[in-house]
Amino acid sequence: MIDFRRTFVQLFVVVLIMSAGSFEAIAQGDDAKVLYQRALAATCANCHGTEGKGVENGGMPLIHQLSQTNMLAQLMAFKSGARSGTIMPQLAKGYTDEQLEVIARVLGQK
Amino acid sequence: MNRRLFLGQSTALMSLMLGMQGTARAVELKSAEIIVVGAGYGGATTAKYVRLLSNNTARVTLIEPDPLFISCPLSNLVVGGTRTLQEISVSFDALRNTHGINMIKDFVKKIDPDKKTVTLGSGKTLRFDKLVLSPGISMMTDTIEGLAQANSMGATLQAWKAGPETLALREQLNAMQDGGVFAITIPEQPYRCPPGPYERACQVADYFKKNKPKSKVLIFDANQDVVSKGALFKKAWADLYPGMIEYRPSHSVMRVEGSTKTLKFDIQEDVRADVLNVLPPMRAGELIINAGLANSNKRWAQVDFLNFESTAAKDIHVIGDSAQNAAFMPKSAHMANQHAKVAAAAIVAELSGWEVNPSPVLTNTCYSFVDDKQVVHVASVHQYSAAEKTYKTVAGSGGVSTGPSDLEGTYAWGWARNIWADSLG
Repeated sequence: MIDFRRTFVQLFVVVLIMSAGSFEAIAQGDDAKVLYQRALAATCANCHGTEGKGVENGGMPLIHQLSQTNMLAQLMAFKSGARSGTIMPQLAKGYTDEQLEVIARVLGQK
Repeated sequence: MNRRLFLGQSTALMSLMLGMQGTARAVELKSAEIIVVGAGYGGATTAKYVRLLSNNTARVTLIEPDPLFISCPLSNLVVGGTRTLQEISVSFDALRNTHGINMIKDFVKKIDPDKKTVTLGSGKTLRFDKLVLSPGISMMTDTIEGLAQANSMGATLQAWKAGPETLALREQLNAMQDGGVFAITIPEQPYRCPPGPYERACQVADYFKKNKPKSKVLIFDANQDVVSKGALFKKAWADLYPGMIEYRPSHSVMRVEGSTKTLKFDIQEDVRADVLNVLPPMRAGELIINAGLANSNKRWAQVDFLNFESTAAKDIHVIGDSAQNAAFMPKSAHMANQHAKVAAAAIVAELSGWEVNPSPVLTNTCYSFVDDKQVVHVASVHQYSAAEKTYKTVAGSGGVSTGPSDLEGTYAWGWARNIWADSLG
């Protein structure tokens, strides 16, 4: 004979587990995305410092005090050619607009 | 239904759910044994970024025999005598103390890809779940007759790994009489640091111009033309060192006679020089060769460009100069640092059970000093192409300087200080 009460509880637990599972999947998806974004922003670190914190008085323009909005504006200006420079116009043209947005979001001041 | 069955079913379901969330992993990030070999631009950066990108949860061991990091970039200024080796040396302390990396001062003498172990010079054997190899390059000395003997008697130097040979070359230039000849020979591509030999010619000429103006710099290039920043270097040679630098393309050294300091070519006349800098063809570090990982033309390690895993051995990653390049990807310090970040992120992702980043990006920047202050650059951006499973340079991006400048000289030092801090700080 089917024990409806027990089956209901079991189903409830399964739904709970599934929800927890999918929450975890989302959380992991987010973590993975954050990882990819940090790795993308790290392509700038050779010249501008780990996580955007460049060497003070090191000879390279410091970027860590730029706001996210300003950083993106500068990157887009380098990309379009509106802002001139030595290396930055050449590098900015190699990234998609979306990648530049990610870089500004990861490295710029919030 | 009893409780045991109920729990069993729930657990099975849970396992199924967890299994669906990512790629299967044999070992957890926190408990994985991650070993990095070589603390140059590639290895040091990998070790640091595995720690950083795992929020310091992954444990990393870094194996390096040298007591100090000495930069190959900028070492031509030491050859030219305007900078010291100390100015381009960096301690490993921050890797150990700030980033919590377990540093072992030793070398790896054997890798067992099946047992997943490395054996150190001390005889100790370490087990790994992930191994990252960044041993740089090795010289194919035997491809030039007489070179090994000439090297051992000090008649020729490479100075292509910064350190004692850099100082030895500096000493030979110091000791040379005014009116003497410095000759550098360049192997066919690919070799470490494409613009490096041409920059070295500039630095030696800068020294001669100021101190020994009757002397000559001869460049013998096995390639048909200058392989990097060609127009910029040729203009700098003509403008800054008129009549001092002679460039001879398509010259392959076949034999070196140490006793008379003579170069013998396949076709052209013999040349005698007072200071000889013979760069033989290069290949991956000995470690790669000995482990059987040099599966590209028996010289370089083929890798999966998404995670830099060797195509010859699972869970062994090869980065930096030892890796087979994608098209237009130079063997440079900057590129090794960039390989490292892609590999580090991939290792963190894999050990977390996540997919690796499907669209990694690499950049390259290389500054060359044409005298002691003025600099020219080359830059490029390399996006991963899923369709072609390789990196492609982006059309319209990258390029070189319009001409040498002091401003780029400042940036070159800025680059150095920042990449040292990014890799080792």
